[in-house]
Amino acid sequence: MGGLQKKKFERGAATNYITRNRARKKLMLSLPDFRRLCILKGIYPHEPKHKKKVNKGSTAPRTFYLMKDIRFLLHEPIVGKFREYKIFVRKLKKAYGKTEWSTVERLRENKPTYKLDHIIKERYPSFIDALRDIDDALCMCFLFSTFARTGKCHVQTIQLCRRLSVEWMNYVIASRSLRKVFISIKGIYYQAEAMGQLITWLVPYQFSHDHPTDVDYRVMATFTEFYTTLLGFVNFRLYHSLNLLYPPKVWWKLSALSASLARVVSSADEEDAELDQFPEDMEKMEAREKEQKQQEAQRKMFQGLKFFLNREVPRESLAFVIRCFGGEVSWDKSICIGSTYDVTDETITHHIVDRPNIDKQYINRYYIQPQWVYDCVNAKILLPVEDYFIGVTLPPHLSPFVEEKEGDYVPPEKLKIMALQRGEKPANEQEEDNDEEEEEDEDDEEEEEEDDNADEEEDDEEEAEEKNLKEMEDKRSQGKSLQVKVTPGKVKVENPARLEQEEKAEEKRLAIMMMKKKEKYLYDKIMFGKKRKVREANKLAAKRKAHDDAEKAKKKKARK
Amino acid sequence: MAAARRLKRVAASQPGFLTLKPSLNPSDLVSGRRKRVNKNKKKNWNKHSDINDVEEFLEDVRHQERTTGGLLSEKSDDSLFFLDVGQPKKAEQKVEEPVETKKRKGKASRPLRIDLILQHDSLIPPAKDVLAYQQPNAKKLRRIAQKAEQLAAKGVVPRRQRQLLNRRPVDRTAKKSATEANNNPDREYYDIWGQESRESADPWYLQQMGKKHVKRPEKLNEKPSVLPAVEVIAPGGSYNPDFLSHQALLQEAHDVEVKKQKQEDKLERQLAFNKEEKATEETVLREQVEGLVEEENEEEEAAANDDEEEVAVGAIALAEKKTERQRKRERAEKIKEQQRLATRKQTDQQQQLFQLRSIKASIKQREQKTKANQIKRKAKQEAQKSQPRRLGKLKFQPQDLEVQLSNELAGSLRQLKPEGSILKDRFKSLQKRNLIEPRDRAKFKRRLKVKYVEKRAFKEIT
Repeated sequence: MGGLQKKKFERGAATNYITRNRARKKLMLSLPDFRRLCILKGIYPHEPKHKKKVNKGSTAPRTFYLMKDIRFLLHEPIVGKFREYKIFVRKLKKAYGKTEWSTVERLRENKPTYKLDHIIKERYPSFIDALRDIDDALCMCFLFSTFARTGKCHVQTIQLCRRLSVEWMNYVIASRSLRKVFISIKGIYYQAEAMGQLITWLVPYQFSHDHPTDVDYRVMATFTEFYTTLLGFVNFRLYHSLNLLYPPKVWWKLSALSASLARVVSSADEEDAELDQFPEDMEKMEAREKEQKQQEAQRKMFQGLKFFLNREVPRESLAFVIRCFGGEVSWDKSICIGSTYDVTDETITHHIVDRPNIDKQYINRYYIQPQWVYDCVNAKILLPVEDYFIGVTLPPHLSPFVEEKEGDYVPPEKLKIMALQRGEKPANEQEEDNDEEEEEDEDDEEEEEEDDNADEEEDDEEEAEEKNLKEMEDKRSQGKSLQVKVTPGKVKVENPARLEQEEKAEEKRLAIMMMKKKEKYLYDKIMFGKKRKVREANKLAAKRKAHDDAEKAKKKKARK
Repeated sequence: MAAARRLKRVAASQPGFLTLKPSLNPSDLVSGRRKRVNKNKKKNWNKHSDINDVEEFLEDVRHQERTTGGLLSEKSDDSLFFLDVGQPKKAEQKVEEPVETKKRKGKASRPLRIDLILQHDSLIPPAKDVLAYQQPNAKKLRRIAQKAEQLAAKGVVPRRQRQLLNRRPVDRTAKKSATEANNNPDREYYDIWGQESRESADPWYLQQMGKKHVKRPEKLNEKPSVLPAVEVIAPGGSYNPDFLSHQALLQEAHDVEVKKQKQEDKLERQLAFNKEEKATEETVLREQVEGLVEEENEEEEAAANDDEEEVAVGAIALAEKKTERQRKRERAEKIKEQQRLATRKQTDQQQQLFQLRSIKASIKQREQKTKANQIKRKAKQEAQKSQPRRLGKLKFQPQDLEVQLSNELAGSLRQLKPEGSILKDRFKSLQKRNLIEPRDRAKFKRRLKVKYVEKRAFKEIT
């Protein structure tokens, strides 16, 4: 046969991929060095679509890299640094073996090091790219800063991670960009917004460490090495965008999170930039202005309030959150440096406690549990403090990361918060009216009102009417005279918006009546599907009600 | 000198005279036949002249100078003699002693023996080494030194000195490797995105010199997975969760456990042994006895089988040769068959015109099927994208859901016991997003087999 026959596995997919061992030999590196290089450069293994073709007929599971990527790696200067390091280790071992201590000293002083700056510039050509990838970096830095300084991983790495995480937290405080907080059983999730990017990161609890054995520490250390470099540069840029001095001179003082950062140019505080006036619809502009005002109000939520943290609450997390929204915070001097005022200060407005009871109580301050702070941040308003007093069963801590769509089940607590957000007064006021007249059956009425709130999202006027009617019926059933009197009639103001809505509903009904049979069939199917969601939500609500009833019954029994 | 010599000879010739050197006989000095020697010859000046007396005198002089530092005859009376007037007062000496510290009793005041040995014991000062003071080119060197002094006075300093002065002291505060290391806690950062590109020279030149910057391939900028970096836990994972979301999370964990349990049960069922299938004694006996016991039923069955076989044997008999008639008939039939098929085909084609509707319907059905398949395949691909890809030998093992049972839920933040390790969570997240491949720990493999030998004591026991 001739020599121009096509041979198998010589072109196409088979030549685009290369196995890991082959790639390693091509680069002349050891396996841990190869892994480290891939992690630093951001080169990941690929799974080819047709494994048999690439693997030359066998289906053995192998790790494949793209040939182009490996060829790109050959041009990387830190490959040479890795090889130098290998030689350095060899020379060091020899010197140790011959006990030539002066040689050891000299070699140690001239240890080969490498820099990752050019890799970062190559992987993230613009600042926004780096911001998109900063989630991972933040999680790693916060995680490593909580490690014990035993020497399992370099202590300098832990210190560097601690410094970077403190700098980041101070940036978030200075720019007031924290948006959401969620306390989970895993750790605390934060979400902040920087330069239009939403950044989510997870901070572990300080006291939870058991080091699992199946985690590869070298891989994590390499990732951390890269991420610390990245985070440092990002911090630098962020600080400069706010005209703050970087690096902050005494960062460990800032770790208390109670001091504010020094500014490079002492400009006037927070000059609010005015929005450019684009030729747009009035509605959009108004909406945007409203949003901006809301955001401004949210940023200054805790302004003017003075907090004091008791010993048993998580100090760093609470200090961070409180300061992000403009509040002042302090703690006992013996816990940490940086406490600004003492527990005996009269101007403290809120004292955060987590114990079942507390000895000395000052009059003009609220004693609340720490969940109040987090719930306020998520609800974006100051919630009523009464639900969070010491010894009170806390309302559940809802996740702010859940976006509820129309028709989904919404937990009653969330509905309450949404009502508060809309500025309505809660059902508490009407309860007070009842208290004056009927002291029995308070609980039942509260229940009914809460149920009303929970089960339906109707117009407020309708709700109020229903409640009134119920009250009147109850009063009548108990034989008391109604307070209804004949009064001159009031002109009912016709709400134009409501009228429009009614008209639209009428039109819709007419259109449905005029549909053809086939179209009606389709329409029914769609509505059935939609209503199914609502029905499920109702079912869940009924379950919840049953559970609440059971709880209430239990409580009553316990009381008796 | 001659007189001194004569005196000595005369003294020596006295009969009782004792010489210093006992070997010498006094008589030898004076008497005895002397051979006559010519003293005028140079050879005899050294051989036959007696200079012992001179030598002795000179030795005596040298001895005096060594021991006393000069001729005794030239010394003054006071240096040689003193008047003994008894013991002087010792009280003054005793006052001085207690001033000294008691530590130095007498040991420090006494000089060391080695110092004593090394001292000069003659009082004659050692001779000056003239060669040591001799310098070749002393004049030249003096001239150079004077010139250098004059220049220094003017301010001009030689190059060596200038270089020494310019050398700065070495900064040995921090080790270079420690400050440049990547994990130095005090490392400096700068504005990496503010600087412009450094393409300074002509791109052709850079390429030829091998200094051209290699572009990063575009594909590397895509993320290997669509999953977000940080996945927030479900609302049921809050430390104080809402009842229903907690139940939902528990339900999920329950489903996972049920699945696991089902798989285990399936395995067990496959491996299970049915007791009824176990051989009883009766069946064992029957099996062993099979074919040995003769019965009538068996013979009839055997006969029926034989008949069937014979029929089959008969059909294999050879076929006879075909005649021409048969061949013609076959050909005609073939042609007829073909014609029939052709007309059938034509009529089919004509009839298809009337079947248009049903054909359309069938085509539509097929198209719908393909479309449905396409949609399914696309949905599968999308789902695959969020799954971790198989990158190596091991499959990805997702970690257990972090969930706290209802009785484990804490009432307050203080009593909260955290679930799960964030280190593991981050590691698994990296694997899930296809950034690293799942690997297990490296096993310890021995190159050479280990040989086990019993100790002698054990051998005796066992």
